[in-house]
Amino acid sequence: MGSIVLDKVQKKFGDVEVIPPLDLEINDGEFVVFVGPSGCGKSTLLRMIAGLEDLTAGKVNIDDNDVTEVSPAKRGLSMVFQSYALYPHMTVRKNIAFPMRMAKVPQDVQDAKIEAAAKSLNLADYLDRKPGQLSGGQRQRVAIGRAIVREPSAFLFDEPLSNLDAALRVGMRLEIMELHTKLKTTMIYVTHDQVEAMTMADKIVVLQAGVIEQVGSPLELYHTPRNKFVAGFIGSPKMNLIEGEEASKHDATTIGIRPEHVSVSTTEGMWKGTVGVAEHLGSDTFIHVHNTGLDTGEGDLFTVRISGDIAVSHGDTVYLTPQMDQLHKFDAQGLRIA
Amino acid sequence: MAIVATTSRFSKIAWPTLAWVVALIFFFPIFYMVLTSFKTDADAVKPEFLFSFTPTLENYANMTENYDYWRFATNSVITSVLATLFALAVGVPCAYAMAFNPSRATKDVLMWMLSTKMLPAAAVLYPMTFLTKNVFGVFDTHFLVILVLCLINLPIVIWMLFTYFKDIPKDIIEAGKMDGLTTWGEVKEILIPLAWGGIVSTALLTFIFCWNEAYWTVRLTTIDAATLSKLIEGNRAPEGLFFGRLSAVSTAAVGPIIVLGWFCQKQLVSGLTFGAVK
Amino acid sequence: MANRTIPRLLQTPAVLLLLVWMLVPLGMTLFYSFIRYVLNSTVRPEWTTPSWSNWRGFGNYEFVLNSKDFLFAIKNSLFIVGSILSLTVVLGVLIAVLINRSFPGRGIVRVLLISPFFVMPAVNAVLWINMLLDPVLGLQGIAVGAINDMAAGMQDAPLVGWFFNLWPVLEPISFRATQTSAIAVIMMVTWQWTPFAVLIFMTSLQSEDQQQKEAAVLDGASRWSQFRFLTLPHLGRPMAIVVMIQAIFHLSLYAEIEIVSRGNGNKNLPYLIGEFTNNNIGAASATGIFAVILANIVAIFLLRAVGKTLME
Repeated sequence: MGSIVLDKVQKKFGDVEVIPPLDLEINDGEFVVFVGPSGCGKSTLLRMIAGLEDLTAGKVNIDDNDVTEVSPAKRGLSMVFQSYALYPHMTVRKNIAFPMRMAKVPQDVQDAKIEAAAKSLNLADYLDRKPGQLSGGQRQRVAIGRAIVREPSAFLFDEPLSNLDAALRVGMRLEIMELHTKLKTTMIYVTHDQVEAMTMADKIVVLQAGVIEQVGSPLELYHTPRNKFVAGFIGSPKMNLIEGEEASKHDATTIGIRPEHVSVSTTEGMWKGTVGVAEHLGSDTFIHVHNTGLDTGEGDLFTVRISGDIAVSHGDTVYLTPQMDQLHKFDAQGLRIA
Repeated sequence: MAIVATTSRFSKIAWPTLAWVVALIFFFPIFYMVLTSFKTDADAVKPEFLFSFTPTLENYANMTENYDYWRFATNSVITSVLATLFALAVGVPCAYAMAFNPSRATKDVLMWMLSTKMLPAAAVLYPMTFLTKNVFGVFDTHFLVILVLCLINLPIVIWMLFTYFKDIPKDIIEAGKMDGLTTWGEVKEILIPLAWGGIVSTALLTFIFCWNEAYWTVRLTTIDAATLSKLIEGNRAPEGLFFGRLSAVSTAAVGPIIVLGWFCQKQLVSGLTFGAVK
Repeated sequence: MANRTIPRLLQTPAVLLLLVWMLVPLGMTLFYSFIRYVLNSTVRPEWTTPSWSNWRGFGNYEFVLNSKDFLFAIKNSLFIVGSILSLTVVLGVLIAVLINRSFPGRGIVRVLLISPFFVMPAVNAVLWINMLLDPVLGLQGIAVGAINDMAAGMQDAPLVGWFFNLWPVLEPISFRATQTSAIAVIMMVTWQWTPFAVLIFMTSLQSEDQQQKEAAVLDGASRWSQFRFLTLPHLGRPMAIVVMIQAIFHLSLYAEIEIVSRGNGNKNLPYLIGEFTNNNIGAASATGIFAVILANIVAIFLLRAVGKTLME
């Protein structure tokens, strides 16, 4: 079991309120991702669930038990830290065994669990090495191993992949997802990377300045962002947000159109502009178009994503036509207009 | 190009030579002292000063007879070791709490502790003499010397330990908390193993400072708890001085410490600059 | 955890010990500095016990300020400390730069250089004043004697004899007079503390940005310009710290003065306090308070410099 309910939890550092009272429900077995720009309070929230940070007000419930005053170790949660936080003076085996040793698990049970964890994480050959002799990816696996053996009711991941290089990151992402399918344990995962959030989550919680902007499945967030912030944060390249005259044509303060929902032509279209930089990725092409006369908040820069390659280069004139059914509309408060 | 090559060849020889010369000049007084300690008192003051003598160990053999050396040395060892241990026992918990549970006052408390180190000892000479002699009756006792040595070094101990502890990632302590460590467990399982090197060098440095202390150990003792500083200080007069035996006793007093010092010269920097120079 | 009790509890012994250690004796000194208090007086026996009824206000301070010894001790303290500071910093920078490169035996050079720092002050003083500086028996006396003998021996030599006839007979310097003994103290303390400065500057030089130097080389900077415009500014902060730490240590210099200068009039503040303490506790205490004020002026700057790096 591993359902977690946050009830009006609040956090202040001195007089600064980093998290205003907030409610959140996480169901058993869910993979939940907290995502937001740095400093949005996502790590603080995770640490409050872990018990590493005390609450200014509110309650944390795990499986319907109030654990607000319970010490971190007794909450039945495991945490994987950004820095891995392995014990550098202990071997891999001792690192993995450590939580069990603290819980006074019998030695034979410990050994069996270590073997199992090492096998499933490809660590069997490294059990007697110290963390200093391992690569980043291996250290990450040890940290996960240490988390698994406790058989927690939920795993907490605090930006676990941000210290890995890009290639490893993709691999570890898959491993964590497979782990989730296998264990079916609740996982809460904090990241600032919306790609990680989109690919991994059952449920994404978008945070900004300690406030939950939206909770939903990845596709919900993609298709129906509740407000301008979520619209701009989820999706890559970012959604084009247009204000002013063009927006009022649609009875909105702001209209948004994702780069992939625009078609490009060299002859005719709704908006006209000049190609600035064209990024050719092979599978896709990102075109940054200038001089569109649109108020996009970044001058009049407009980004388009074309699948496949297209022969445009710097200085060319292009015409852009948005797909009208994919248009997002927001009011003066930045909220979505249905 | 040619100019560059010649200068570099010149500097390849000249600078290291100069460095060696400077180092030898600085070391010379110590060398001279050690050398003299193997001369008889008569040889020691002969004009043919450096190597024209028959080495003898008699100065060392007679240290007890001439100076009662071992009595002072024992006092130095006892007081320095115990003061160091006592300072660590008080300092480790304090530095641990400051490094891992800092509050807004922590910085000020640390600064204040340092400031106590900066008070000139002489300013409280009479009160200390009066209190220890007339009020507590601990003048010239090991207890007093240990206590005072511990107190004057405590700020540096806490400061050094604090800088070492601060280098331990907070994440590791928190991982320990998640894994079920108690406060004592954190200290035993994580803090001490990880900061062991730092704790040892703090101890060594404190020991050296205690050993070399020369104000309170001289002013607050007469004979029972007198340390080597007091012994040497008492032999300052030039009249009737026996350089051979004086060198032997001085060498015995500073030799071990110099060797210890070689091992912790790196820590000396952070220890004496309070972490301000890295 | 909201639990702040344990951390507080762990800090309590250290804080309490230091608090008592600081407040009690200092409080007593402060009290004594405002009363008439002497150890022996047949004329005014009531002054031999400390009591509020012997209140003297700022009388002790006035007495101290008007005494010739005090002014001399202050000047002498500043002379000694100032000389040591300038010598150690200049020598320290030069030596640090000199050995901040790799050459054969660098490790040994470092070990030789740092050694004087670990010599206990009492041994340092006894070693220098007797074995090195004594005008007859010390190395100085021996060396001067040897030079004189050599000059005398050469006087009959053909061709160059006239030269050595004009050579003056050298007189060894006695380092036990008031001012020369101050010089002796400066020499021995400089010898002991230059290694400290070297060590600090070397540590700091190792953290110097090498890419910055390479950039400077590409920009055409000479060795001297690199030293002047990159290395010296980089050493600015360590220099300030070396100066302040030494100032605090040397303002309370005692063993060296005691051993080298006893009774010859060379004194600094701690030594003067020691003299007053033989009888006039009121004056000793007032002098002590002046010493505290002097040390605090330096300490404030030092603490500010140290505090900046504290929580990084």
